[in-house]
Amino acid sequence: MDLLWQGLVNGILLGGLYSLMALGLALVWGVLNIVNLAHGAFIMLGGYACYYMFSGLGIDPFIALPVTMAALFVFGYLLQRHLINLVIRAPMFNTLLLTFGIDVVLTYSAQIAFSADFRTINPSYAGAHFTWLGATIPLVRMIACAIAIALTLLLWLFLARTRLGRAIRATAQNLVAARLYGVEPRSIYALTFGIGAALAGGAGALYGVVSQLNPYIGVSLTAKSFVIAIIGGLESPLGVIAGGLILGLVESMTSLYIGATYTDVASFGILVLVLIVRPTGLFGRTT
Amino acid sequence: MNRYLSRLSLAAALASACAAVSFAAPAGATITLGASVQMSGGLANTGRYYKDGYEFAIDQINKAGGIKVGGKQEQLALKILDNQSDNNLSVRQYTQLITSDKIGLLLGPFASDAVLATSSVAEKYEVPMIQGGGASDQIFSRGYKYIFGTLPVASKYFESTIDAMDHLTPAPKTAALLFADDAFDVAVADGTRKLLQKAGLKIVLDERYSSNASDFSSLLSRIKSAQPDAVLVSGHETEVLNFIRQAKSLGVSPHFYSFTVGVPSADFRKALGKDADYAFGMTSWLPSAAEKDPWFGDGDKFAAAWHQRFGYAPDYHAASAVADVEAYAKAIEAAGSTDPKKVRDAIAHLDFPSLYGRIHFDAVGQISLPQTVIQVQNGKVVPIYGATGFIGKAEYPMPAWSKR
Amino acid sequence: MKRPLARAGIVAAFVVLAGIPWIASPSIVQFGINMLLLAALAQGWNIIGGYTGYASFGNSVFYGLGSYGTAIAMLRWHLPFGIGLALGTVIAVIFAALFGRAILRLRGHYFAICTLGLAEVMTAIVSNLEITGRNTGLVLPLLRGDVLFYELSLALVVVATLIVAWIAHSRFGYGLIAIRENEEAAAAMGVDTTRYKVLAFSLSAAISALAGGIHAYWITFIDPVSAFDIGLNVKMIIVTVFGGPGSILGPVLGAFVLSGISEVLSTEISTVAGLFFGAVIVVAVVFMPRGVADLIRRFDKYRWRYFAENVRANRL
Repeated sequence: MDLLWQGLVNGILLGGLYSLMALGLALVWGVLNIVNLAHGAFIMLGGYACYYMFSGLGIDPFIALPVTMAALFVFGYLLQRHLINLVIRAPMFNTLLLTFGIDVVLTYSAQIAFSADFRTINPSYAGAHFTWLGATIPLVRMIACAIAIALTLLLWLFLARTRLGRAIRATAQNLVAARLYGVEPRSIYALTFGIGAALAGGAGALYGVVSQLNPYIGVSLTAKSFVIAIIGGLESPLGVIAGGLILGLVESMTSLYIGATYTDVASFGILVLVLIVRPTGLFGRTT
Repeated sequence: MNRYLSRLSLAAALASACAAVSFAAPAGATITLGASVQMSGGLANTGRYYKDGYEFAIDQINKAGGIKVGGKQEQLALKILDNQSDNNLSVRQYTQLITSDKIGLLLGPFASDAVLATSSVAEKYEVPMIQGGGASDQIFSRGYKYIFGTLPVASKYFESTIDAMDHLTPAPKTAALLFADDAFDVAVADGTRKLLQKAGLKIVLDERYSSNASDFSSLLSRIKSAQPDAVLVSGHETEVLNFIRQAKSLGVSPHFYSFTVGVPSADFRKALGKDADYAFGMTSWLPSAAEKDPWFGDGDKFAAAWHQRFGYAPDYHAASAVADVEAYAKAIEAAGSTDPKKVRDAIAHLDFPSLYGRIHFDAVGQISLPQTVIQVQNGKVVPIYGATGFIGKAEYPMPAWSKR
Repeated sequence: MKRPLARAGIVAAFVVLAGIPWIASPSIVQFGINMLLLAALAQGWNIIGGYTGYASFGNSVFYGLGSYGTAIAMLRWHLPFGIGLALGTVIAVIFAALFGRAILRLRGHYFAICTLGLAEVMTAIVSNLEITGRNTGLVLPLLRGDVLFYELSLALVVVATLIVAWIAHSRFGYGLIAIRENEEAAAAMGVDTTRYKVLAFSLSAAISALAGGIHAYWITFIDPVSAFDIGLNVKMIIVTVFGGPGSILGPVLGAFVLSGISEVLSTEISTVAGLFFGAVIVVAVVFMPRGVADLIRRFDKYRWRYFAENVRANRL
């Protein structure tokens, strides 16, 4: 029973971080109809940015987090504005291939720039934990989960309440409608992609604190993000939170009660099943 | 349509030209060894030891005048390719080294699965491959004649650790065994399970996990609730790193934990800082002045020279790689020829002392070296238990994380 | 008049290719095996991706099933290679037909992600099964016969190309193209879209599985990650899109050119090969999104403006 409770807590804490990882991917996919295969590479870059601020300049990772996000925003904005926008009307394979190519370039550049050594963001309080109702709660995971959920809610508010946010949502429906908001589509696209990259960067910084970084972590994180985005649907950031929590819980429970090698069977099995049964996500509107 | 055709043939010609360029053999009258190693991609981190090791050993042998073949002094050279951590590419590169570069003496890549895939190329073309990167029993159970390995047998990795545990006070009574699901770690676990049973320890948790897993919170929670005295983990460096960090953040501290990899590597200790303390590990090699070497003097001198040249400390991967090159040098001299078949027979009969230990291959092509139990104490690796018993003082039991 | 000439040229090219093992060095033969298998895989992907317009990441699943079917038949049941190959192919086709019915209802990215998920699930399942050797993989017996593997691979490319050529000029092919261009309209015109799509998927599966089986016996070692490698599936797509999706010879041409380039890169300047390969993909997607086949066809008309025209047509 204690084990079950601890397992649920582990799953939820992991799930919070997962949802932030997938948030940018879902936003870009939902609004721009681009499936960004380089998403995991952005997470990796965010992790390294935070790592270098922490180890080089001694900045606390949670203070470095907004800086990391700002840097990734600029990077994402420029990438979309000057590269991805060039193929936006080409067939779907082309955007897929382009982002795949970007992923390869970023991964190998990271290896040359940062080396293949693994890095960890290891502040003095990284191992701190407390006990709550008999479950051990790692402090850093708790903070990471809270930040992830806060950022998700902020994005939701931004999309629902601000003029720019509404313009972004309109773009998802119809490019012409977006022009009515007086914003140029090219900038909207770049802005949206920039926000997606910033969220990935934030996730990367948190990931570096709870796990470890190397240039090759991107691919598996992209795959996980797909699962979450599909479970949660592309309509709302709140769906992504639910998707992240579900994945976290499924992985945790599978690992506890079935076996640690079965987590991928479970999570990707869910992906395929959800797609077959309900392609708009468990929480999306049915078409 | 004609233009289309001419363009088509142009493209085809271009493709074949591209293909042709890559098959130009390097010139030179030296003896060239060939290797395809992970210099980029997921395993580049450990692959580096092999690249550096091969190059360093060859330079050192050449500095001493090279090797004597049929009365003539000849220099060694290395043709090394980056397989980008891709086993299929590595297989192609080895074939190319053999068939177009006409290299008949191969050094291996890192990791058991890469060795499994690439050694069949060596066997196919009947050229020897001495490799210091694959220890899985699967490699040596295929009846191949041309593959030799300088890492000790996977199934005995924890043998000395379990011996040492028996002599600790209080001796651990229960153990948890965690292992990644790749060829090497499964072989380690199969061997360790038997050793634990023989030593009379109760296995309270025996769990396989996926290679490259990054979240260990569920497994750690199960360890916490099963409360084993000792935890033995066989996995990869990144997994061990995550395991220790997450053990700390979940407050899991068994009296004893030991890992097949990581502990000997400087990179690992740097990434963990103080949290690396108390972790046990093992190594088939530690720098020692007692291990005399024909080219480097002894193990200590070698370690110092390595550190000076590369800026980091060598571990057993590095020493194993150097031993591979030295084995070739000795075997070529003994054979008096570079003919792959003659060299192969000479390798099978080698027996010489090196900085890595005694190089002498058994019938299936593997060497046997005892694993020394080591522990991180105050950020330094301390040898604890070797073939002769305790050689250092173990810090045991491990204190709880909150009491460090 | 010109058409038969072109055809004769292509036949001649294949005859020359068939003769290569007797004149070239073993390393060229083995480069050839890789190149031909990639060409066959690309041709297989071309049927479902190029003609039908479904971005499948599931072809690596079929490749893996072919590999494992062959390996298991040979190792566990001691059957000859040919029967193992047939068995692997049958398993892959059954799998494609069963799952195809369910997942080919998905459109666009959803289909792509679903097949991607399928590849991940298969990797994970195979890593847990006793019969497949779990994640430690299977070691096949060693056969010293690269010429045989080369000719088998070449035969597979020829068969796959003939199938694609037949598709291009058949009712079936027109149906697939109609589905690619506008699925609702195709259905309205009386195309049995489900049956056509499942058939295309199964054909694609058969070719991929055959390639997987040949590769497994040749390389002698398979494990889940290499057998169900999504990277290989991405390569099929890159090669096809580079050569020209929905064309008869484009994928083969793409495989030859890109294999040549990547071989040079990974042997001559190996450390930055990966980086350069990524950059080539980015540049190719931006400037020649319709592949080499289209470049060859239309370069005369546009000359160097061809590249600028492509960017203009696809930019926001």
